[in-house]
Amino acid sequence: MSKPSSSSASEAAACDSQEQIAQKNWEMANNVEIVSSVDEIYRYDKKQQQDILAAKPWEKDPHFFKDIKISALALLKMVMHARSGGTLEVMGLILGKVDGNTMFVMDSFALPVEGTETRVNAQAQAYEYMSSYIEAAKLVGRQENAIGWYHSHPGYGCWLSGIDVGTQMLNQNFQEPFVAIVIDPVRTISAGKVCLGAFRTYPKGYKPPNEEPSEYQTIPLNKIEDFGVHCKQYYSLEVSYFKSALDRRLLDSLWNKYWVNTLSSSSLLTNADYTTCQIFDLSEKLEQSEAAIGRGGFIVGGADPHEKRTEDKLLKATKDSCKTTIEIIHGLMAQMIKDRLFNSVTPH
Amino acid sequence: MSGQKDPMAMEVETAPIAETSNSSKSSMDITTDPGKNVMASGAVGSITCSLHPLVIMNVSEHWTRERAQEGSVQQVIGALIGKQKGRNIEIMNSFELVFTVIGGDIIIDRDYYNMKEEQFKQVFSDMDFIGWYTTGDTPSATDIKVHKQICEINESPILLKLNPYDKNIEHLPVNLYESVIDLVSGEATMLFVPLNYTLATEEAERIGVDHVARMSSMDSGESSLVAEHLTAQHSAIKMLHSRVRLVLEYMKAVQSGQLPRNHEILREAYSLCHRLPVMDGLRFRQDFYNQCNDVGLMTYLGTLTKGCNDLNQFVNKFNILYDRQGLGRRMRGIFF
Repeated sequence: MSKPSSSSASEAAACDSQEQIAQKNWEMANNVEIVSSVDEIYRYDKKQQQDILAAKPWEKDPHFFKDIKISALALLKMVMHARSGGTLEVMGLILGKVDGNTMFVMDSFALPVEGTETRVNAQAQAYEYMSSYIEAAKLVGRQENAIGWYHSHPGYGCWLSGIDVGTQMLNQNFQEPFVAIVIDPVRTISAGKVCLGAFRTYPKGYKPPNEEPSEYQTIPLNKIEDFGVHCKQYYSLEVSYFKSALDRRLLDSLWNKYWVNTLSSSSLLTNADYTTCQIFDLSEKLEQSEAAIGRGGFIVGGADPHEKRTEDKLLKATKDSCKTTIEIIHGLMAQMIKDRLFNSVTPH
Repeated sequence: MSGQKDPMAMEVETAPIAETSNSSKSSMDITTDPGKNVMASGAVGSITCSLHPLVIMNVSEHWTRERAQEGSVQQVIGALIGKQKGRNIEIMNSFELVFTVIGGDIIIDRDYYNMKEEQFKQVFSDMDFIGWYTTGDTPSATDIKVHKQICEINESPILLKLNPYDKNIEHLPVNLYESVIDLVSGEATMLFVPLNYTLATEEAERIGVDHVARMSSMDSGESSLVAEHLTAQHSAIKMLHSRVRLVLEYMKAVQSGQLPRNHEILREAYSLCHRLPVMDGLRFRQDFYNQCNDVGLMTYLGTLTKGCNDLNQFVNKFNILYDRQGLGRRMRGIFF
């Protein structure tokens, strides 16, 4: 408790000792080495980046970039910005660099653009903001260039809509290397896990060599068509996150205060609206699949492929219902835990 | 329910606050030149602060980045923005500031700040400039000089100091200060007063922080969702348990005479126990059962849907296997 101050007192007193000096030197040398290998990623090598930009290895291979590493800070900023938009879509730019087949996202910033899905281009105000922000950032040691854009899909999942695909194709023609990140703040809170996707589009007319089975996502009924039409025009990158040594240490200490928030969060209440929407959507999907199954018997000859489709509809509806069920069960588990911990004590 | 927890969080934190004021007093004894002392003794902060973890990560990244690029440790300076409601300040975001060192003094570039202020007003229109941050240990005279420059922008700014070298994981090496003008040997001088702060509790932020905090310790591909969820709860409960045990050991020590009685701590522990059970009225029980029933109903529906799906798949496979030419199809036509 008063240990930190007393140890600094003893350090000050014992600094005369040669052993102590030698040990401190060794410690400092060791620390510096350990840290620099982890935090190398934060150093921006201008020459290396310029060489890569000149070589443009992504031009020949549409599937060049395979994974993307996002810094802890960029993730938090994007999540907070997306959340602040509420049910409106928000948009921003991401700064970073490229190394081999990996894209690195170091930072992100919000753009003053009104979020509506129908907007393809940012307004002139946003363009000016973008360039002046990046210029200002260079003055404080943020040397990275814009390497992509992000926007939010509040409540309907991480995928690219038709307009997004169009925008991204344009970007990939003129601003390479560029990536599109989509984040869903509502599902993040509901599932308790970060819901984020990073995508790159294929050039027009390009057919990917093998059909990659993508992870199934719950898409609400009113968006399912948009998703289905365009889902083959882009692929997703493997997302991973990184943090610095200081980040790690701070996050460990943060936990010492944050555990209270973990225990006290009530996801059933926070997500009530979203859960209701999910159930409405699910009921409509079930009605659709029921109608489809009912019709199946009359078609002769084409029965098998048609049945496969109705099966798919019901299968998808089942997956959606499982997802919703699991989330609310988690919410109830948290409530039960709290009830047990804080209500099951009998006062004397 | 979350409203109930905040008093408990405050109660847990008052103990460390007594310690920080102790440590700041003893560090004041250690500073060689009492004239350089910039901490006001015995003063209590006049405002409460709520700090978002995003700001902490911002400062940390700024420091790491500067160090990685320059190759050596740099002091970093930046601005804090947020909202102020009466005596409550919420620090929500931050950005870097440009400064020059002229003759050993740090001078903040006002033009750069004005440009950044214009920018952030476009995106975060309801946030204001709240204060500034820097890295280092306890505040020093140089911090006072910079603080005076910041006072030209905002009358009473907050100073946030992050100590990147504090190895003690038990507490967050982030301290907040506000300034007061005190009479020191006849002169009106500016001194710092430490402020108490709580961590802001935005749900999305918490999940993001949780995710980056635990991602390296988890093996990739944790297949069970339940295990993930329960692990988080388990860690939180473990912390609660260790805290409660700490209080219990203190009580035992007081009882056996090993430690002197501190009536304030004992009073708080007593009031803590008195608050249990937290909620136990008839109304609560009814609502809670309603909630449980709702969840049970949804689970039932989910299970029914799953059963329907399984049955449908079985029937389809059955039909494919046992389909007889003509007869089977005509039969299906009759039933539908």
